[in-house]
Amino acid sequence: MEFEGPAQSFVDEIIIVENVHKWFGEFEALRGVDLRVKPGEVIVIIGPSGSGKSTFIRCLNRLEEHQEGRIIIDGTELSHDIRNIQEVRREVGMVFQQFNLFPHLTVLDNIALAPINVRNWTRDRAEEIAMKWLTRVGIPEQASKFPGQLSGGQQQRVAIARTLAMQPKILLFDEPTSALDPEMISEVLDVMRDLARSGYTILAVTHEMGFAREVANRIIFMDAGKIVEENNPEDFYNNPKEDRTKLFLSQILHH
Amino acid sequence: MTQSPASPSAEPQTAPLWRTVLGYLFDVRVLGVLGQIGFIVVVVFGVKAIGVNFAENAQKLGESQFICRDGTFSYRCAYDFMESESGFDISDTMIDHTNTDPYWRSFAVGVLNTLKVGIFGVILTVFVGTFAGIARLSENWLISKLALWYVELMRNTPLLIQIFFIYFGVILTAPNLDEAIQPLGLPFFLSQRGLNIPSIQFTSSAAIWLAFLVLGIIQFQVLGVILSRREERTGQPSNRFSTGIIAFIIIAALGWFVSGAVSETQGLMVTKGSRIREVNDIENMMLQRTGLNHLDELDSLTEDEIKDFALQVCVLEDSASETNFTSQLRKMGIPYRVRRSDRPDQATERYADEKCDVFAATKSILAAERATLENASGHLIIPIKENPVVWSIPTREGLNMVGGSRMKPEFTALLLALVLFYGGTLAEIVRAGILSVSKGQSEAARALGLNEGQRLQLIVLPQALRVIIPPGIGVALSLAKDTSLGIAIGFPDMYAASYTIMNQSGRVLQMFVMIMLVYMLISLGFSVVLNWYNEKIKLVER
Repeated sequence: MEFEGPAQSFVDEIIIVENVHKWFGEFEALRGVDLRVKPGEVIVIIGPSGSGKSTFIRCLNRLEEHQEGRIIIDGTELSHDIRNIQEVRREVGMVFQQFNLFPHLTVLDNIALAPINVRNWTRDRAEEIAMKWLTRVGIPEQASKFPGQLSGGQQQRVAIARTLAMQPKILLFDEPTSALDPEMISEVLDVMRDLARSGYTILAVTHEMGFAREVANRIIFMDAGKIVEENNPEDFYNNPKEDRTKLFLSQILHH
Repeated sequence: MTQSPASPSAEPQTAPLWRTVLGYLFDVRVLGVLGQIGFIVVVVFGVKAIGVNFAENAQKLGESQFICRDGTFSYRCAYDFMESESGFDISDTMIDHTNTDPYWRSFAVGVLNTLKVGIFGVILTVFVGTFAGIARLSENWLISKLALWYVELMRNTPLLIQIFFIYFGVILTAPNLDEAIQPLGLPFFLSQRGLNIPSIQFTSSAAIWLAFLVLGIIQFQVLGVILSRREERTGQPSNRFSTGIIAFIIIAALGWFVSGAVSETQGLMVTKGSRIREVNDIENMMLQRTGLNHLDELDSLTEDEIKDFALQVCVLEDSASETNFTSQLRKMGIPYRVRRSDRPDQATERYADEKCDVFAATKSILAAERATLENASGHLIIPIKENPVVWSIPTREGLNMVGGSRMKPEFTALLLALVLFYGGTLAEIVRAGILSVSKGQSEAARALGLNEGQRLQLIVLPQALRVIIPPGIGVALSLAKDTSLGIAIGFPDMYAASYTIMNQSGRVLQMFVMIMLVYMLISLGFSVVLNWYNEKIKLVER
């Protein structure tokens, strides 16, 4: 399986996050997050439940609105301007924990829907490209089935194909393997590994250590709405600097 | 039994009989069969009781209920009375009806009225309910609160009271026709006499135009395929959609002129002496009559003078010929007055009496009518241009409204009340349907870059429909049946017509059987269509 890479980006830093704060009512979910990502970087975000890691990546395509700070994606700042939001969403693809496939559409229509309606492609072209991505994720024979007829791993691969068909530069993964049965995790991780190697900028919230060690450029540890520690995988797992990180790693490694 | 089968050494014991029987009684399979038998017994006795009661009542009503025309007695003649003269008038009819028509025709008028309210009601309710349901979920505070108040007001007051309120409190207190409420200057007039709305009339050339429209749609598809093939080949985007639309408009416009030019069914009867040989000659005649040099100078005359000079036009009531001809006169700037007759011979009589200058109708009518004139050769039938479709717009003419179609006050009130009430009910169903679609669906749609309209239209509503349709069928059926409440404000629906028939003929039983059958047919019709749709959009699952 070899993936075609994303469109080239002409900025030095494809994601710039400066001092981002986010409140849910009284609760402050993000307390000043800073992050800079170069095109092609693969970043894995880990942290305990409720640490704000999902909220953080959901801010990057405006599924959540941040109240303070700046987020600039591929040169476009996320503001209240709907045109900027749409622009960013066209460049940023997202894969969800619960797949969120459209149950009333066939697998092929799931993938072709956005290219037809957002990119204004013809149906023929969109379906051809949808078929291409479906082949790349290894399930072309499922094209005319409905999501409800597929296994969890197959559904997640369709969701990845759906995201890729929009030709994004950045991919966000929000715990993509957490809802899967153990034997299906590897088929999704294989696809993600290939994507990482073909040059996509990737931010993934996942606790899959093998994946992180193998392809991540950086690992970010978040706790209580802040980035506590960031490092390359080797040092992160072997020599964590912060006590909080050590405690968390001991919890997930020795259970 | 406490003994386990694993201990073969134990003596096999025979359980007492009562225990075995009791054991069977608690067997779920036996219980199921007993339950079914019990239910059948209840049903049989119930049906028998009703049947006996029915037969006794039929006996009491006497044989007079089942008399055939030849005087013999037979249950087969139960409905023979439907052939006799009804003797009553109906105020709001879709087909012709007079008091000399038989009962079955009066009944049919009622059925049609019921269908009219039911069908228009369901269609409008779908719009109102969907809109209000979406508005309930709007993030705009004012819109969502307005929708909430609307829904609560409608749900928490009885439908019958609402019908009375709208009829007596809104429609009947509306101003007279000469002060009719005209919202936003649109050609809609609400007055005590109901609601006047514009309507479409078709002339005979409409069929040709329709053929052109079909051609346009076919060309749209074909062009789309051709252009998308070319797109595939060259990789150049080619605005298939807008190209197709433009081509469609061109074909439609072409069809409009062609059908107008080809079709020569509309005519005008004039006297030879008027020296009118084509429609444009009317202008010269008017100039001669008024002594003006140009029709623009009409402004210099007083209103009364213009009235005297106006072209007198004889037409048939509700004819497309009138709308077609008068719209041309308006375009030419010629003042006119229309005299409408119910029947062609009445119009001809007026024309013969020189009450009007011209008689506008279809050529075939004119030819037949000219033959009845004393001096047939002294009259000409000249062709007039026709448009395939003409808008008939209601306008005030003295104390009357002419043109368009009029919805009677009772119909307007009943329709309005049903739509508002069931719109509120449907709004909650629509809201529930939309809320039943998980948040993740909307997030996925947004993350893919779909805008809010596309999200609603392509993702949320199709899934919400699955939840909305089954209870929505219930709303449609309730609405169709509640049209019978129209009797409260004197709307002549099927029940109202039947009620009168019952009072006059005494055939209560027969009429109620018919009423229930028709309601059942209407409801089943709705159900079949909607269930078919429901089946079609069901989710495919493993």
